[in-house]
Amino acid sequence: MTATTAAPLPLQSPLESPASPPRNSSHKPVNLTRVFRWIYLTLLGIFFAVPMLAMARFAFQSVPVALLTPDKLFTGWSIEPLMNALTDTQALNAARISVTLAILSILINLVLLIPLAIVTEIKAPKLRPVLTAVTLLPWVVPPIALVVGVSATFRASAPWFLASIYSLVPFYALWALPFTYRALDAGLQAINAKTLYEAARSMGASFTTTVFKVLLPNMRASIVAAATLTAALVLGEFAFASLLLKETLPTYLVNFQRSDARGGLALAIFILILTALVIGISVRLMRKRGLNISSTGL
Amino acid sequence: MRQRITPDARLGLLVALPFLAFVALFLIYPVVVVMIASVTSDGEFTTESLQKALAGTYGKGFANSIILALTTAVIGGVLGLLLALSVKGLERPRWIHNTVNSWSAVASQLGGVPLAFAFIAAIGTQGIITKIFMNLGIDINEFGVSPTGFWGLVVVYLYFQIPLMFLVTLPALNGLRPTWREAAAVMGASPLRYWRKVGIPILTPATLGGMLLLFVNSFAAYATAYVLNPGGALVPLQIRFLLQGNVISGEEDLGYAIVTWVIILLLSSLLLMTYLQRRTLRWTAS
Repeated sequence: MTATTAAPLPLQSPLESPASPPRNSSHKPVNLTRVFRWIYLTLLGIFFAVPMLAMARFAFQSVPVALLTPDKLFTGWSIEPLMNALTDTQALNAARISVTLAILSILINLVLLIPLAIVTEIKAPKLRPVLTAVTLLPWVVPPIALVVGVSATFRASAPWFLASIYSLVPFYALWALPFTYRALDAGLQAINAKTLYEAARSMGASFTTTVFKVLLPNMRASIVAAATLTAALVLGEFAFASLLLKETLPTYLVNFQRSDARGGLALAIFILILTALVIGISVRLMRKRGLNISSTGL
Repeated sequence: MRQRITPDARLGLLVALPFLAFVALFLIYPVVVVMIASVTSDGEFTTESLQKALAGTYGKGFANSIILALTTAVIGGVLGLLLALSVKGLERPRWIHNTVNSWSAVASQLGGVPLAFAFIAAIGTQGIITKIFMNLGIDINEFGVSPTGFWGLVVVYLYFQIPLMFLVTLPALNGLRPTWREAAAVMGASPLRYWRKVGIPILTPATLGGMLLLFVNSFAAYATAYVLNPGGALVPLQIRFLLQGNVISGEEDLGYAIVTWVIILLLSSLLLMTYLQRRTLRWTAS
């Protein structure tokens, strides 16, 4: 494995060279490296764009692919499938449930993690390794594994819990833990929380005043970033909801698509764009503060 | 000795306890119950279920899932690293860096139902790419590039694996200081030698760590695989099969055993990844 992973680098290395030592700095070299880079980026761009365009065509153009010829490329387009999907009462219901789940998961995470992140940073740095280890756990136990444990335990001991749609909330909060903590921690590091805290305290501010008037207002960007990433996760989570037989937006989407193929794809595009916007917002927000967002939570 | 619990430590405990209790109740407790159930039968220790989980159809499932995860980790890892190298080297259009960065944050999270739909529309039997290649006289489904074939699944997974690799290797690439390259050049090292002696040794742990993360990510992926081919012989799909009550009597513990193996596999991959990450940080931490 080592051999395969190292392979692309030597190929890349001679190409990298013109940028560095002065000997290659003639005025207008046909910069091969640049050309290769652009070719590669273009190919990847096509790879990322084509499935989305194919889905959009299927959803919004009512010409079956078997009958699609170049001259029919621009006929039969309409956004009716999307309108059908968005006026479907069950879809709206599922969307409302997903949004509620997202809001509750965000709240749980923020309530648990904001105090913890602040105290860890300014008072108890010893908690840091514990937090780092715990926030790795959701990677170790993916939804598909945890759902087995949850059925084995809560189904017998607390059936009323699993019967409720809100039983999804703690688990969604759990999988959002890693990047929520990363975002909050990055925010605290960036404002030099410990120094700020000590300065405020030495000027006579109480602990609560310091937290609410100094630290929290400065953490707004990371809080919003954490919230939007959590929302994106909840809007896309399928495995857990599906195996616990809950109807959320993603699980409804699969059923809906079976009855209305084009409407299902239109709805999928709608959800994709929504997710992309939500994540895009949080990336922008963090970057404005010079922070790099960790959407992976690592 | 007397005042071992300082006010600071007490505050730390106060905020850490609800968090740890939350994680213990909803994550540790179910996992521990499953793991214990997987090694006991009627109150006695036995590895029978664990062995069964790696035999027959389920063993095949593990083999398939591991091969799929390795393939997408290596291909996605190489392509993602190349993406990071390409973007890092391009300084001129300023938008390119931000665009690829934002897009990767989005695409690395897209492994779900909508992604599966998109690829069905592209490379499914009625897909537009399938049709285009048909017109050129090539049946891509014959090469396993269909949503239900192995290579089709690889292509779909690459859609979120490449951006994920980009996100995890970019910090390491940014840690390669230009001064090192200049120093090497001043001392007369060729670029090739610089990469062989400095660049690659520093990037290797980050690259391997990123690939391990991709491995974990692909192994645990469920939604995409389920929508494309619910009956496929992959571990996550087999877990669903068992969970929905399709068990022969006497094999109730099989699901627990499979989950135990999954957790062991993912945990060891992630531990190895953190170790490699720490080695990377030694050089690239600012």
